[in-house]
Amino acid sequence: MNFKREMQLLETRRQFFGKGARGVSVAALASLMGNAAPTGGQPGVPHFAAKAKRVIWLHQSGGPSQLDLFDYKPQLKKYHGSELPGSIRMGQRITGMTSRQASFPCAASIFKFEQAGKAGMWMSELIPHHKKIADDICLIKSVHTDAINHDPAITFIQSGSQQPGRPSIGAWVSYGLGSETQELPSFVVLLSQQNSVNADQPLFSRLWGAGFLPSRYQGVRLRSGKDPVLYLADPAGIEREGRREMLDALQAMNKMREEAYHDPEIDTRIQQYEMAYKMQASVPDLTDLSKEPPATFALYGEDARKPGTYAANCLLARRLVERGVRFVQLYHKGWDQHGNLPRDLALQCKASDQGAAALVQDLKQRGMLDEMLVVWGGEFGRTVYCQGKLTDTDYGRDHHPRNFTMWMAGGGMKRGFQMGETDDYSYNIVREPVHIHDIQATLLHCLGVDHTKLTYKFQGRWFRLTDVHGNVVKPLLA
Amino acid sequence: MLPRKSLALLIAGVPALIAADAKGVDFNRDIRPILSDNCFACHGPDEGKRMAGIRLDTKEGALAALTPGRPETSRLYLRVAHADPKQRMPPLSTGRTLNTQQVELIQKWIAGGAEWKLHWSYEKPERRELPAVKNKKWARNAIDNFVLATLEKENLPPSAEADRVTLLRRLSFDLTGLPPTPAEVDLFTKDKSANAYEKQVERLLASPHYGERMAMPWLDVARYADTHGFHIDSHRDMWPWRDWVIRAFNSNMPFDRFTVEQLAGDLLPNATIDQKIASGFNRNHMINYEGGAIPDEYLVEYVADRSETTSTVWMAMTMTCARCHDHKYDPIKQKDYYRMFAFFNSVKEKGLDGRDGNADPLLRLPSGEQQQRLDELTARIKTRDAELTDEKVKPALEQWEKQRLALLNYAAPAGLREGLLAHYEMDGTVNDHSGAYRHGLVLRGEPAMVLTSVGKATLFPTTSRVALGKMEFGDEYSIAAWLVQGHHEPQTVLQQAGRLSVWWDASEPLPHLRQGAHLHVETPGAHVRTRDRLVQAEQYHVAILHSQAGGVTIRINGQPVPVVREAESSVKRGEPGVLAIGEEKDTDQRNGFRGRIADLRIYSRVLAENELRYLAVDHRLAHMLTVPVKLRPKELTQRLREHYLAHVAPAETKAAWADLKQLREQKAQLDDAIPNTMVMSEMEKPRETFVLTRGDYRNHGETVTPNVPAVLPPLAANAKPDRLALANWLVDPQHPLTARVAVNRYWQNYFGIGLVKSSENFGTQGDAPSHPELLDWLATEFQRTGWDVKAMQRFIVTSATYRQSSKTTAALTERDPENRLLARMSRFRLSAELVRDNALAISGLLNRKIGGQSSYPYQPPGIWEEISRGEIFSAQVYKESKGEDLYRRGMYWFWKRTAPPASLSTFDAPDREKCVVRRSVTNTPLQALTLLNDPTYIEASRVLAQNVLREAGADPSKRLTLAFRRVTGRVPDTREAKVLSDLAAKQMARYARDPKGALALVSIGETPVDKALPAAELAAWTNVATVLLNMDEAITKE
Repeated sequence: MNFKREMQLLETRRQFFGKGARGVSVAALASLMGNAAPTGGQPGVPHFAAKAKRVIWLHQSGGPSQLDLFDYKPQLKKYHGSELPGSIRMGQRITGMTSRQASFPCAASIFKFEQAGKAGMWMSELIPHHKKIADDICLIKSVHTDAINHDPAITFIQSGSQQPGRPSIGAWVSYGLGSETQELPSFVVLLSQQNSVNADQPLFSRLWGAGFLPSRYQGVRLRSGKDPVLYLADPAGIEREGRREMLDALQAMNKMREEAYHDPEIDTRIQQYEMAYKMQASVPDLTDLSKEPPATFALYGEDARKPGTYAANCLLARRLVERGVRFVQLYHKGWDQHGNLPRDLALQCKASDQGAAALVQDLKQRGMLDEMLVVWGGEFGRTVYCQGKLTDTDYGRDHHPRNFTMWMAGGGMKRGFQMGETDDYSYNIVREPVHIHDIQATLLHCLGVDHTKLTYKFQGRWFRLTDVHGNVVKPLLA
Repeated sequence: MLPRKSLALLIAGVPALIAADAKGVDFNRDIRPILSDNCFACHGPDEGKRMAGIRLDTKEGALAALTPGRPETSRLYLRVAHADPKQRMPPLSTGRTLNTQQVELIQKWIAGGAEWKLHWSYEKPERRELPAVKNKKWARNAIDNFVLATLEKENLPPSAEADRVTLLRRLSFDLTGLPPTPAEVDLFTKDKSANAYEKQVERLLASPHYGERMAMPWLDVARYADTHGFHIDSHRDMWPWRDWVIRAFNSNMPFDRFTVEQLAGDLLPNATIDQKIASGFNRNHMINYEGGAIPDEYLVEYVADRSETTSTVWMAMTMTCARCHDHKYDPIKQKDYYRMFAFFNSVKEKGLDGRDGNADPLLRLPSGEQQQRLDELTARIKTRDAELTDEKVKPALEQWEKQRLALLNYAAPAGLREGLLAHYEMDGTVNDHSGAYRHGLVLRGEPAMVLTSVGKATLFPTTSRVALGKMEFGDEYSIAAWLVQGHHEPQTVLQQAGRLSVWWDASEPLPHLRQGAHLHVETPGAHVRTRDRLVQAEQYHVAILHSQAGGVTIRINGQPVPVVREAESSVKRGEPGVLAIGEEKDTDQRNGFRGRIADLRIYSRVLAENELRYLAVDHRLAHMLTVPVKLRPKELTQRLREHYLAHVAPAETKAAWADLKQLREQKAQLDDAIPNTMVMSEMEKPRETFVLTRGDYRNHGETVTPNVPAVLPPLAANAKPDRLALANWLVDPQHPLTARVAVNRYWQNYFGIGLVKSSENFGTQGDAPSHPELLDWLATEFQRTGWDVKAMQRFIVTSATYRQSSKTTAALTERDPENRLLARMSRFRLSAELVRDNALAISGLLNRKIGGQSSYPYQPPGIWEEISRGEIFSAQVYKESKGEDLYRRGMYWFWKRTAPPASLSTFDAPDREKCVVRRSVTNTPLQALTLLNDPTYIEASRVLAQNVLREAGADPSKRLTLAFRRVTGRVPDTREAKVLSDLAAKQMARYARDPKGALALVSIGETPVDKALPAAELAAWTNVATVLLNMDEAITKE
């Protein structure tokens, strides 16, 4: 890149940042290239000092079984095979998949549990790596949700409403806090395919959509492969210098139009083309894991070398937040164990346990965990009663919205802390219920956002992520 | 700093903008927004939440809290102006605050007598006198008088008329969505007649693409899509409805009819097919088929969607706010919500549906020819059925069963064991029962036993591999087995290095939620596959016969089947390896075996006809017959009957059966080919409607009957309260909202922002109109002309306001950034579909076909597949179109709700899950990447370059002018020409050095490359064309 080009880019950058940035020194501008003051957020946000600046949300899509991972119920062995008592079920609604089932036999987990960390968190043998982060996370065993099936439940956890149409949490955060990077989108979505055998559940673009917020806040799906961002790569036959030549001509044409029309949108478009040009370099640099040292792969596992795997996406998530991306939403498909739970849950855990734990450890090692929030969880839990045939080695579990387990770690949160308790059947919460809106409110709180004040007016009403609900879960806060 | 909300109010603008100069205070413009935004939540229509018994949304309520003329004794003023923040209203806890200007306005309003008016949009529009203006020459029609009057008040002059090229380009985009050709531009610029512009307007209004253009925003409001949405998101066909909309606009159907037919076409007396199709408007909502979802819950959601969409589209009313409680701002009771809901609550539908195509109720739409054929087939089937009744068939059938059972006893043809190399009965094991002890060795997978209609079989639930041992076949051999493919991914059935590979390719959807794959057999030098797909999960007897003379033949269920010979075989002759079931490793190409196998036999000879028949037919028959009659499932009885009719019965009966089978097959194919569309249709007995407490489908409150909100005029007294009455009520001249809301959306199409910015909300929380009198004038004009839609478009585009230049100045932008005052024409980016249509039209690639099935343009692989449910459902795998279908207009792009067309989403197209009245217009780097790198645009650039090089000859400046004119309509000025010709020269030099790169670039896209043109030159001009198509001007309506 020659000096003239450099100066032109600085000029466009200066325009990009608006009047306020005019007259700052070249050195100061250069620093703006990296992490810098956020742009594009709402005035007055954050509402108070933020503990965390960025979020990585690991969504285990399908509904991981709390009974086989975190919510240890040794008493259940006794009840194995016996009917779930009516006093426990209390006539709660159940899905159309098991509502015609003649009996509801309890299925104890066949997995071994051990305690980990200073808080003595119970974790099953399926997630050995999680034991290493027991002292870093807040484990919440009493999360509950309103929806009982995937579509409404996952829409609820991601947008605060069961029905489609609202902005996703990542869109709310980008809208409120703006972006800290000019070279990457502020809200990025990563998908990992299922590892279980049985058919899995779909996802929907609305889960990272902007709803009624301007569409620039929607999540950008980062895909594994040649074009991590759609149409990122120049087509065959166009070299970088040739592309630059084209862009220079294009910008010259646009500038002339701007002189004639004085429409500020033209100026914005000029900036967007420059940003696109930069993304063509910054995104491949981001997704190129070849320069990561061997230690990284020792931590995340060899799987992390394979693009698209859960481990690789966890590593990518770290690289994204390092570069200032505000919200990384990772989806892992395949956690819907209606049948063959022992086999399929084991496969899901094997593929994700190390990556999730490594992410927390890695952020901690780098001193980044304090300014991050990592969230792990599904859209609901699973029932204690067996779906399908119960044998000594095999069982399935249906959807259970009444309690499930999530964990959160990072800035503003306690470390090595657990809360919430369920009954002997992991069917009802007996202590410290935490609603999905509470999780959302708490997440925003850690980001310095009052969830009742981050609003957007649509159809005459001020909407917010938590609708008219949600309380910050104070006991979780450090 | 001002609190954020009041800041927002100031920026939101026009009221404040004008209020600054206004002498008097206008209640609706100045006061109601303050009260609504800050007070109504606790002192408004919602009885449940009303504090201290004070309500400020009615005149009576407000008068109780103030004394007209005396702010100093008015409680309302005293509380909002209170010095003590703890006493001041609104309370701190609400996060709302009034700024000084707002408090002052309240003070002035009370001092001036506290005049109270009904919220403006609930009053019938009033047609005022045209306002007087100073500049008498400027106005072309009534619109201009209103606009100019405001401008003169603001001391702003209107802009000059845009030049003709710009005007025609603007007009063409607005009325057809397509750019003008240079020839059309020439005609217009050279037309010296006084009505030259009007002639263009008429030409474009008469274009068949006018209907498409008008339909585009309507598809957004109607949440039209090609899939059901929600969880499974499978295919649906609502394009007959979409095509009805296009026809309705093209035939200039009056808006009142357009309304009635879409809301209640099915209820019209002697409803025509078209009217029924139109009623599909309210079937466009999403439909769920998630396993486990609760039908009652979704029945409520569908009805809620209909009443929400209808209220938003026709009345810009936010009814949904009253779903759980009384509306907090507008006079809508929760009960009103459920009364509206009740109109839509009696559709004959299921809570969970859309598993396989459209959901009931639906309307089949056979063509005349199809209907005739259908009648004919139905009659012939009836005749044949009568010949084969149980009465006629059963006695002989039963007798045959008895005889056959006595005879049968599994009698195998003599010599069946001859040449039997191995025989795996597959009883859950993989043991060899031939006596040769070639037991299989399970290398991966966990086989299990299952019972099937041919007895035991071995099930391989996960990708498996079983080594069967070294076997030398020679050139004459047979392999036979019962096979079930258990997964849609490609998988190996049998494999022997150096000799043989038998495999299924990837399963693809077949009609009726089935899917299937081809069976391939590869041997050294030969590769054959079945012509038709074999259905996944169905059991087939497969025999592969290999003879030196005849090569490979495939028998399915004993019968030879048509095969396709592929050019290449991947099996190269070599030392035979181990014969094995399944692939060694799962790869993208091929997996281990998943499915079922029974009775696997390997012979070192070619099986004879009677042996094949025994293995495929008799053997199975034996299994079927031995099941006692009483225990036979219906399906088995049916199969035996069919076997008898096909193979055993007297010749005449056999022939009748064969004919019947064929007729049924033909009818099934015809049924599949007849399109259908979802429509509205009422249940015989209406479903009861309840107020749902907190909006929850489980909490039934009081019963309600269909009715309209009390704040609006009543339903016609003598009408049965149904959808038809509702539709007629909406278009009644007394209705204050319908006409205003409709013309406001038209305005929004042309100017980017409606006269009421919040085009989805005309309630108290919506934005006030920038030109209230103009809005009312247009609304009354719309009604006066008999809801003439084309006349309204003509009226707007022939105004001087519309014909202004869109050039602005820094000062004007600063003063009126959103152009609400209309001192110029608005300038904004084309909508997503039009960005693409424009590039295709300019290049000449555009396929102008109107209507029909949606198509699948270029899209990178995986966009659907990575997130979709997959399995057997439809619309889970994106299959790119071929040929002309690639180049259809963006509005025909197959719209999958959970993964809408990717490059359209980038340009702000909605996902169509819900009604959208207003799209956002963003400007992002992803848009730049799409226009620069999406093959759609690269191909368009190349084809444009190709045409230009062919038509303009060798002169670069001629080429440039032609290309530039195609893109912009105008001729480039000298500076522009220089930039572009420099670029062309530089790019030429590049590609002269890089012929490979040139070829690669120009080969993108399906359109053949013009080989007569030098690749380097074409590549260079392709890039010049890309720059042209990426210019802000190219994608903007100026």
